[in-house]
Parts: sequence; C-alpha cells; structure tokens
Amino acid sequence: MADLIWLHEGALRRTHPVFAMAAPGTPAIFVWDRARLAAGHVGVRRQLFIAETLAELELEIHDGDATVLLPQLAVAHGADRLLVPASPDPAIIGQLVMIRQAVPALTVEQVADTAFVTLSQEPDLARFFRYWNKARKAALRPHGV
Amino acid sequence: MTKCLPKTLSVSEMAVSDMIAALVAALPADVDAAAPRPMAGGRKAAERALAAINPVAYAASRNHLDRAVTRLSPYLRHGILSLDEVRNHALAKVADPRQAEKFIQELAWRDYWQRIYLAHPDRIWNDVEVYKTGFDASEYDTELPADVVEARTGVACIDQFIAMLHETGYLHNHARMYLAAYVVHWRRVRWQAGAAWFLEHLIDADPASNNLSWQWVASTFSKKPYIFNLDNVAKYTGHDINTRMSDNRVLACSYEQLSELLFPNLEPAHG
Repeated sequence: MADLIWLHEGALRRTHPVFAMAAPGTPAIFVWDRARLAAGHVGVRRQLFIAETLAELELEIHDGDATVLLPQLAVAHGADRLLVPASPDPAIIGQLVMIRQAVPALTVEQVADTAFVTLSQEPDLARFFRYWNKARKAALRPHGV
Repeated sequence: MTKCLPKTLSVSEMAVSDMIAALVAALPADVDAAAPRPMAGGRKAAERALAAINPVAYAASRNHLDRAVTRLSPYLRHGILSLDEVRNHALAKVADPRQAEKFIQELAWRDYWQRIYLAHPDRIWNDVEVYKTGFDASEYDTELPADVVEARTGVACIDQFIAMLHETGYLHNHARMYLAAYVVHWRRVRWQAGAAWFLEHLIDADPASNNLSWQWVASTFSKKPYIFNLDNVAKYTGHDINTRMSDNRVLACSYEQLSELLFPNLEPAHG
C-alpha cells in the first residue's frame, strides 16, 4: 500500500499523527487552494504566515483546486491511500467527499490530532462551563487522560 | 475583499520563496515589510513562543492589554503546535497544576469551540439562539459601516483598536471583545459582518473561536449581551490607548445607563 499525505492549513507540523500513520518517506503535499482560502476569508497576512510555515516544512506545494489536483497527484505518486489530518472545516470535509467520488479506488482516511482531553462521554456543549466541569480534571493532567 | 497571490504564480507546483515574496509585496501599503512582525510563521517561531510562556503570570494579568500574552494563538490555529503539547509544556513549568489552570482553561476554550465546529458546523455562521437584546436579528444591519472599516468612528479607543487590527493582524482578546461589542451593540450590526472582518485580518483567526466568540458577545450564544464602558477600557489598557472621556463619549457611562441606551426594549434589571 502506497500512501500520500495531504497537509492542509489546519495542521502544519511534522509531528502530527498523520505522519506516524504513513510509511516512512511518504510524500506530503500542500495545495494552495485560492478558492478555499478566499471562501474562508483568509487575508494576505494569514496567507503570509502560512507560507512562512510551509517554508520550514519541505513539502511539495501545488497551486490549484484540491479536488482536481489531489486525485492527479495520487495517481502520479502511485498512492492508493490518502491520509489527511482530521478537520472540522466543512470546506475540507466537502473536498474529501469529492476526491472519494473522483477516485473510488483511493482510500481516504482522516487522522485525528493528539487529544486535548479524553472523556468517557460526549460533553454537553450548550455552554462552556458544562464542558469544562467534565473536562477540567483530565485537562490538568499531562496528555489529558 | 481578500487579497490573494498574483495570478502569475498560477502554475501547479510552487516555490515557497516566490510565494512569500509575492505575499510580502501584497501587504497593505502602510505596512513596513522589512520590520519584524509580532508573529512570524513556522515551527521554530512557535517553539520560541512556547518556551517563553509563563502560566502563573498569565493568570494574574491576562485581561490587561499591556501585560503577559502568549501569542501562541496563530500556531495553535494552524496546528503548528497542538493543544496537548502546549498544555503539557505549561504543566511542566508549575509545581502544582492549579497554578496553570487559567492558562489551560484558555486552551480548553479552543477545544470547546472545535468540538462545536465538528458537531454543529451550521452554528458557525447562523445564530445559535435569538438575540437577548430586545431586538430581532432583522433589526441589525448586515454590513459594516464605512467609518468602522476605516477607523474613523470618532470613538478614540475604538479607532485605535481598529488601526491595530489592520496594521498588525493581531489584537488582545479583550480588545477583540470591545470591538465586537461596539460593532454589534453600539452600531447594531449583525455579528456575522464583524466576524468576517476579523477573519480577514487576524493572523490567528479560526472560524469556530472567532465566530462563536462574536455570538457570545452578541448574545446569540450566551444569556445576555456583553457590553463594556470606558472605565473598563481604562482599567485594562496601558497609556498608549486614549481613554479620555472627551474622546470616547459614547462609552463614558455607567452600565445601567448603557443598558438603557443600547437595549431600550429590555426591562431594567433589578437588584
């Protein structure tokens, strides 16, 4: 199984668990997707901040629509699995759906970041302090467990 | 409108040095591109910011605009640092975990916002609840007034905060709350217009943290609207912020007066 990593603007580090999930030496790609950046109101300063971060990461950087480029890049790299840092961003989630539809043979997996807290039950999110009252004990321990 | 890279870079594989040069050239004309910026991108800069945190000092002065701030937010926003590693680092700096509790609670706010974003993505741009201001959502303007965008509201401290936002891409959290409250409650503008404005300018802007915080101020995700007065600004800002009464008249009131002025349809609070 050959992997390809799609690193997006919500997970710009080499210590993200997505790298541990992939075989050593798996190529990582960032797609400079202008349409998604514009739709997300990402201004020029934040674009510069992202670009400076990319400069340290030594990735392949491609300019274009992620839903078009990633299927092509998966084929070019001979990848049959695309690993992606998990994101709550509906724009990224929507793009993953389109990539799956474009290349049904490509397995697409989202990889969660290390948890801030591990809770036995889903917390009540109606107000912060209802969440905090459940999360506090774990949050004050190393690794949140 | 978002400024993007020039079209001349529209080839598939990009050289990051070209990207950076193009973005520096696209910075607003009033920004000195050669001057050190408060928060540079990259893991090395993130690790320097992380090494400098002081959870105990943070707890004592986090609300003051001129005291200890960590400036970790853009690194957390872009996953350059994880919440887990920042929390672990904070715990390693204190003898008792409770000394780092305020700092860790701020990290927990970010975890909380992200959980809502994942579970309820529709809440990012839609009112979670009705306004508790005595006004219906339809009574709020949908666009930011030009004088707000141009930092010429005539309210001195507000204009300074807007200028900071535009010039540096960063604002202390307390200044963000002041600006948000001014836009929504003094100018009666829907929070969505202000949230989009912040997303455009803040280096650390995250849709969940940003938009749900605007909703918290607006009262569409809280029990009551957040407001402030000039005394509060004076208490939490340094001498570089103009808090003279004559230059900030619309803020120079008691909370009771402001409530009556800003929310005339609400019953006065008693007790």
